[in-house]
Amino acid sequence: MTRRILVMFAVLLLIAVGLALYAWHLKRKVARDEQFAARQQLAMAPPANGPPTLVTLYVASDSDATIRKSQMKIVLPEERSERARAILRALFGAYLQTPSPHPIGAGADVRDVYLVGDDTAVVDTNSAFADKHPSGVLAEELTVASIVATLNANESKIQRVKILVNGQERETLAGHADLQRFYLASNIREVVKDLQ
Amino acid sequence: MSLRSPLSHHSAKISAAAIVGISFLLGAIFLQRTALDAQAPEPNQLTVYSPQTTYSVPVIDVKGQPYIGLVELLEPLGTVDARPEGKKYKLKFTAPGGRPDEAQFNEGKDKAKVRGANYKLPASFVLQNGRGFIPLGDASNLLTKLLATEIEYHPAGRRIFVGTNPQRFTLELRQGTPSRLLIGFPSAVNPTIATEPGRVRFTFRREPVAAAGADNVTYSDPLITGASFSEHDGMAELDVTGTAPLMANFADGGKTIIVTGAPAPPPPVAEQAPATEAQGVPPSAPAAQPQPRQPAAPRFLVLIDPGHGGADIGAAITPDLPEKEVVLALARRVQRELSNRGIAAGLLRNSDVAISLDQRAVSANAARPALYVALHAANTGRGVHLFTALMPAANALPEAFLPWDTAQAAFLDLSGAVAGSVAAELEARKLPSATLLAPLRPMNNIAAPAIAVEIAPPSDKVDEIASAAYQEQVAQSIAAGIAAIRTKLPEVRP
Repeated sequence: MTRRILVMFAVLLLIAVGLALYAWHLKRKVARDEQFAARQQLAMAPPANGPPTLVTLYVASDSDATIRKSQMKIVLPEERSERARAILRALFGAYLQTPSPHPIGAGADVRDVYLVGDDTAVVDTNSAFADKHPSGVLAEELTVASIVATLNANESKIQRVKILVNGQERETLAGHADLQRFYLASNIREVVKDLQ
Repeated sequence: MSLRSPLSHHSAKISAAAIVGISFLLGAIFLQRTALDAQAPEPNQLTVYSPQTTYSVPVIDVKGQPYIGLVELLEPLGTVDARPEGKKYKLKFTAPGGRPDEAQFNEGKDKAKVRGANYKLPASFVLQNGRGFIPLGDASNLLTKLLATEIEYHPAGRRIFVGTNPQRFTLELRQGTPSRLLIGFPSAVNPTIATEPGRVRFTFRREPVAAAGADNVTYSDPLITGASFSEHDGMAELDVTGTAPLMANFADGGKTIIVTGAPAPPPPVAEQAPATEAQGVPPSAPAAQPQPRQPAAPRFLVLIDPGHGGADIGAAITPDLPEKEVVLALARRVQRELSNRGIAAGLLRNSDVAISLDQRAVSANAARPALYVALHAANTGRGVHLFTALMPAANALPEAFLPWDTAQAAFLDLSGAVAGSVAAELEARKLPSATLLAPLRPMNNIAAPAIAVEIAPPSDKVDEIASAAYQEQVAQSIAAGIAAIRTKLPEVRP
């Protein structure tokens, strides 16, 4: 009887250890897959040649709740929507560095920018951008305003901006900022003015 | 050819049985979790009725016993400062206009100290994630001890009446063709009404309604056969049964509900005779026939909307302090401060429930407030941020239809004036603040003057955002700012 209990206990222990190892393996696999997907997305950026171009970024800062204008030189593709995407990636790059003036979710990226007519841009972000974005009225507003202001500063024809997540419309960015609307550059200029 | 010993054969059987057993166990756990996730049951709750407010407190299960949170129970009734110290839980409660009373509880013990005297709980005190819980059955005793006021507790219904008597209703059957059951209340009520063939049910979630006589009444009437009253989970229900479809109408300004037979399919409009039976009935008496409701007088109501709730915790201020809790506590303080200034205020959420953004806007617009105040909390920045809607202003005629996405546009001037008034009060109290435009939902959809307030920690110590002193200062600023501009905001007819 004692032997049977011991055998059963050993089997249960083995199964528990096995399940733990399997869970650990799955967790690592998910992390590897996410990293791979992020690398794949970055690798899909079009090659850009030529001299670096001066671009304007409106960079948010959480510590003093401001948005400040800054400039940097990056190599830009020729095509308009790819240029807009590259500029926003430079903005996201500023937020993803450590330490960050305005942290956004790790792995956040711009999948595409679609230019509709002359004045409208639809920015398609990845899931990490919204799913991991810090929640808060001000935190989300800083992100949205800096995206719209940066696009408008570099392509003055862009007057309306819509933000998608993974190709889909989302109710809010992280519980507060409305993502179901088009943002007008003229409105955002007022916000940026208040935040400077 | 291989030979197996009987023992190894037996072990294999045991192993196989164990694996099958564990698989079933894991499967059962998985299925149970999935079922729980898919269909979360309505939380059990205790409802507290006091002269100032009515609120619900979630009831949690601890080892099969119902418990409630101490802060959730006391906060709407006064100022609470609670902090865990190791296994001790120290609490300071100040009733409005009263002096602070102290209490101390010990994790896992049923002995406590309240107002300097020994106090025995019916079961052990529970401390979870820095929050203190007492047995549900002790809630009324503790309130009696701390508030020194009359408490009536209905344990079966999980309802507590603090310093206020239940509204006892009367039933009067008037037999005739058709018969009518008049249900009279001391003040106006607004229950949820559900009808089904031969039955009409009134559910009272907010009103302190109780039966004056027997809970069950039977009538020997060809139409209305009985009425039964019950209480459960912090609600009261009145069921009226009949032999034919029933309908309910309000009369006497909402103080009387008349239950009678539902009419047959309506005849052509030209053949309908005007109802004249009610003429000559004194206004205070229950009307014999349903009368058209008189337009209510305009009133000034501030609707406070504490953001998030339920599974939507909002921002994680600290790992143990979600935004939904911070803003609910602040909302109750703002409501109390407004009440102290003679301003009626309601909470869109007074417990930990999830409400969608669209539902919030629908409820807020249906309540027709003079002012809507959304409350949020975050770690970004310092002090208080005031927001009005980011959209171009637009003119709209009173009572006109408004576009859902930009309903707020017609009220931006007034919203900005309220934000300015609150900002001035924050500045007067030396609280850092900023007024901004924000693309915030559901504020865009509110058809009334509206502001959003996001509080951030006052200093580098993030958990100070929940301190009673800081929240009280913010609440007083908001209430004083609203009171200062009240005369410029139009009253609204409900």
